[in-house]
Amino acid sequence: MATAVIMPRQGQSVESCIIAKWHKKVGDTVAPGDILFSYETDKASFEEESKLSGTMLDIFFEEGDDVPCLTNVCVIGNPGESTAQFKPAGEEEEAPAAGGESVPAAETPAAAPAQTVSRSADEFIKISPRAKNLAARQGVDYTAAPATGPNGRIIERDIEAMIASGNAATFAARDGYVGSGAGIEGTGIGGRVRMADLNAPAAPAAAAVAEEGPEYVDVPMTNIRKVIAKNMIQSLSTIAQLTYNMHFDMTAVNAFRAAVKAGGEALNVGKITINDVILYAVSRVLKNHPDFNAHCVDNKVRQFTHVHLGVAVDTERGLMVPTIRNADCKSLSEIAKEAKELAAACQKGSIAPDLLSGGTFTVSNLGSLGMESFTPVINPPQTAILGVNTIETKVRVVNGEIKTYPAMNLSLTADHRVIDGAPASRFLKELVTALENFTVLLAK
Amino acid sequence: MPKSQFVDPKFLRAKGTIHFEDIPVNQYDRTVEQEKENYSKADFMRIYRDMAIIREFETMLYLIKTTNSYNGVEYNNPGPAHLSMGQEASAVGQAYILNINDYIFGSHRSHGEILAKGLSAIEKLSDKELMDVMENFLGGKTLKAIEGKQKNPGDVKELATDFLVYGALAEIFAKENGFNKGIGGSMHAFFTPFGIYPNNAIVGGSATIAMGAALYKRSNAKDGIVIANIGDASMGRGPVWEAMMMSAMDQIKQLWEEGYNKGLPILFNIFNNQYGMGGQTRGETMGYDFLARAGAGINPAQMHAERVDGYNPLAVIEAMRRKKALLEQGEGPVLLDVVTYRMAGHSPSEASTYRTKEEMDAWAKEDVLENYEAKMTAAGVAGADEFAAIREDVKSLITKVCGLAADPAVSPRIDLAKQPDAIESIMFSNQKVAKMEDRPSEMLMPKEENPRVQQIARKERWGFDKNGKPVSKNKVFQLRDGIFEAVLDKFYEDPTLIAYGEDVRDWGGAYAVYRGLTEAVPYHRFFNSPISEAAIVGSAVGYAMAGGRVIAELMYCDFLGCAGDEIFNQLSKWQSMSAGILKMPVVIRVSVGSKYGAQHSQDWTALVSHIPGLKVAFPATPYDAKGLMTAALNGTDPVIFFESQRIYDVGEQFHEGGVPTESYEVPFGEPDVKREGKDITILTIGATLYRALDAAKILQEKYNVSAEVIDARSMVPFNYEKVIESVKKTGKIIIAGDACERGSIMAEMAEKVTALAFDYLDAPPVVVGSRNWITPCYEMEKFFFPQPSTFIDAIHERIMPLEGYTPDANFTDGEMLRRSKLGV
Repeated sequence: MATAVIMPRQGQSVESCIIAKWHKKVGDTVAPGDILFSYETDKASFEEESKLSGTMLDIFFEEGDDVPCLTNVCVIGNPGESTAQFKPAGEEEEAPAAGGESVPAAETPAAAPAQTVSRSADEFIKISPRAKNLAARQGVDYTAAPATGPNGRIIERDIEAMIASGNAATFAARDGYVGSGAGIEGTGIGGRVRMADLNAPAAPAAAAVAEEGPEYVDVPMTNIRKVIAKNMIQSLSTIAQLTYNMHFDMTAVNAFRAAVKAGGEALNVGKITINDVILYAVSRVLKNHPDFNAHCVDNKVRQFTHVHLGVAVDTERGLMVPTIRNADCKSLSEIAKEAKELAAACQKGSIAPDLLSGGTFTVSNLGSLGMESFTPVINPPQTAILGVNTIETKVRVVNGEIKTYPAMNLSLTADHRVIDGAPASRFLKELVTALENFTVLLAK
Repeated sequence: MPKSQFVDPKFLRAKGTIHFEDIPVNQYDRTVEQEKENYSKADFMRIYRDMAIIREFETMLYLIKTTNSYNGVEYNNPGPAHLSMGQEASAVGQAYILNINDYIFGSHRSHGEILAKGLSAIEKLSDKELMDVMENFLGGKTLKAIEGKQKNPGDVKELATDFLVYGALAEIFAKENGFNKGIGGSMHAFFTPFGIYPNNAIVGGSATIAMGAALYKRSNAKDGIVIANIGDASMGRGPVWEAMMMSAMDQIKQLWEEGYNKGLPILFNIFNNQYGMGGQTRGETMGYDFLARAGAGINPAQMHAERVDGYNPLAVIEAMRRKKALLEQGEGPVLLDVVTYRMAGHSPSEASTYRTKEEMDAWAKEDVLENYEAKMTAAGVAGADEFAAIREDVKSLITKVCGLAADPAVSPRIDLAKQPDAIESIMFSNQKVAKMEDRPSEMLMPKEENPRVQQIARKERWGFDKNGKPVSKNKVFQLRDGIFEAVLDKFYEDPTLIAYGEDVRDWGGAYAVYRGLTEAVPYHRFFNSPISEAAIVGSAVGYAMAGGRVIAELMYCDFLGCAGDEIFNQLSKWQSMSAGILKMPVVIRVSVGSKYGAQHSQDWTALVSHIPGLKVAFPATPYDAKGLMTAALNGTDPVIFFESQRIYDVGEQFHEGGVPTESYEVPFGEPDVKREGKDITILTIGATLYRALDAAKILQEKYNVSAEVIDARSMVPFNYEKVIESVKKTGKIIIAGDACERGSIMAEMAEKVTALAFDYLDAPPVVVGSRNWITPCYEMEKFFFPQPSTFIDAIHERIMPLEGYTPDANFTDGEMLRRSKLGV
């Protein structure tokens, strides 16, 4: 019996997913556990495994299509079975008319197609003021909008359709199409931006007869990139960020790790990384500094009871930040284990979207890449982020002699709207003290 | 068409002739010696002084206009000055016998009449009355400008004379102390406390208006006569003939009730100065030979017309005594042909190229002042030195007043930079006055006994029955009932209210709105007028100026053009030209037809909305019709009240609970949302509301488009806020009406919406009006007037294409260009 496969809903906030790749094509044999297709949300990517066996009878969407969750995407069954009844509503028109004239569905309003269109750079674009304003507010690149209004005019419903299909662009992109980057001030009545306020975009150079190939390649941003871009710009443009640096003596931490390595197996304690140690110390020290374990929203600082630690993970698709919830209640080995699992899920792309939000403080580690110092960018609405750097050998004078010791630099970025320099320094100092006396901290 | 009058074929077809009485021409032949029994020396000398004041006043203006200088006073007066040197005797002779409650209305050349009537009033009023008038006028500002500058302190008449001359001149110089704050100017100056009513820059414009003031005196049983001072050239103007015809209508004596059945106390006084600008009225532009002949064409009394020698003040006074007596006996109307001659040109800038020096010299020999003086000295009334002394006095008076009026410190102009709302604030009076006079209202029966009232009482005041089905036309309270109730209520409340128009009584007015009024309202308050639209509207203007309230009906909107001047220049302008002194509580009912072709189907809301000073309403529901008519009748501003013949029979479908029986107002300027929606706004004018609602239903059912339908209800004033709010929500708007689209009020509203909501618009506002054609016959009307499908066509083609829709009408850019290029 033919059975449809739906686009799963990954988390309550997900309305649609983009089909990244089809692993089966029509006519292929399908066995349970076979990967049918991979798909992604704006936050993560997933693979859909078949629960059925049979033949791939029909595929309703192509790679790159944005498919509403719970919509049929393909049908598996026995060769020869009909798939027509599974076609999603929006696809009906493509079906050949079953004899006679096709009558427009009376109850369906003329829905704007959600695809984008490409226009040449010098094409005059007809767009209603309302549609243009909506595009600007929502960061939609209207130059790519389909035009369903009279005389090829882009109207409100076209922009709405683009928003619905996830074609909203970043603020930077919006500024890009306006042509002059940030900081356009309207000098017209009521602050309207007039033509004179815009630096007329330079006319694109006539496409050179480039025999040696194209001058450049446009790589579309993935959804994850778009989200990252939006978050970063929002962070840097709305938060007063200031970074503080301080290093600590790693002698105690190294000794502790050596001890774990030696006796951990006996006590069934797994590998503890330096990052795990820092996560643990942070989860404890944060309890003494509520402004750091907080969100700044609408002129309020929301201090959290527990610590939900965001751990920045580098993946192929880009930066992801899964959350260790209630880290302050977890032991070092529990933290270590969870951090490892979360990182693996991110790398694999199978992380549950709900685990990618809700952090109250973030730790970002570039130490393995040799960074000595950097400026972490706060993940809004959090109030601070800790950057972890590489291990360096430093010298100091002990009893008149120059001695070397292993040291690690910590880069703390704090939101100066909430946290002044002195409290930021006190937090970092306490963290350094905790790490330099790590075993004492464990005893607490 | 009263049934009481039998139209007898035997009489009408009988053989016979019409006899005319001889028309007197310059019959006055009394000597000064004989007149000594009627006039004291002081009277004789005052007549001379009054004429001398006019002569010097006009001479001063002539010199100011042509040399910027008079007797040492330097002033530049760019405004008009139509001078009347030569016509002094005709003005002073007329005014000599008039009382304060006798009103004069004038023309563009009326400085002399203002001064003469004012001087006559000063002579007749007591010192206390004069002081009251002067102290109360403009808060005493005009008085202050001249007070303390008299030769004989304490002489109130001297003070009042200075006040009169100064008030008139300051007005001519457009100064704030002028009789109309400098807003009216030379051609419009007047001063009602002295019985001087507006002068008029439209030739013959005062004829209908003065007749309306006489109608006020008759219908409200007020004393006094009314004079329309117009020129010989105005005999070429239709409204003047309409005014004479209406003033002579038989019904007043034959049908009006006892006590009111006397002829209108109106004197059509023609200052026959021989020229209409440069056109010679006798011998060139008209054919009456003797102007007084015209009266014989109006009524059997020949309007008691005669020619009078306007170069002899005593002849004019003698004629005026007789004519005034006739008018007071109820023998009006009267026509006087007062022969005179203007010595200067039409205006100072003109070189009298149309007449010879010989002719002007011949009239100069007959000079009014010199001849009068010669006769008086010959008869031993006074010596030449006494006349010289008067001339000296007059010259010093005019010099003093001219200096004061010219001086910006004493006589400033309204500063529109400092008071930007000075003119804006006088465009409408915006008052609410339930009755114009507090006395019982004369009616023929108690309201509840009226057959129409009883019929309406059996009607359903809400348009749907318990099951939501429409109540049948016969049982439902209709739009026409709403108008009727508002009008009837006001008849019982305001004793000055009168209503007239064509076929308003037994016929019930166009489409039976007035049915039932005939039984309730006496003739002198409610009557059939001649088919004289100019006189209907013009008389309404005069009636209101005199202090009453009027509803005038024009039957079809298409007939409004026949009253063009009266609506565009008179009704609309007098409140503001009087600087807010006059009120204009006039409602003009016009009905927009259908089915009757090109001259009976037009919606001219745009024409009247274009003219500043008119309020314009077009209700489409019984509730709104009653409420807006009540608001119009409680107000003091002129209202053009549009009705549509398509919807006189609609029941109330919007106001929950139906149309209230009690009186209530719907405020002017507030559009009303008749159907809420979110996708597109449709703003309608008048009867298109119902076609828009039909379109909204189709849009909802077939295309899932939710239309918000807003009924404009009034065009002027108009509060756009509600419409803009709706457009912010929907981003789309159609403005619809039955008027031809080009230059329509819809186009005006589209422009305002574009300006006010540009950033919210998803498409340009679309006007759905009628084609720029003549209205074709009924069978072809659907190609002309907006239909429900026209709305959907407009949406599909200009705003938001609808899937699967095939339009009928062509709204494409190319078609718009083509039609505009062809002017169709």
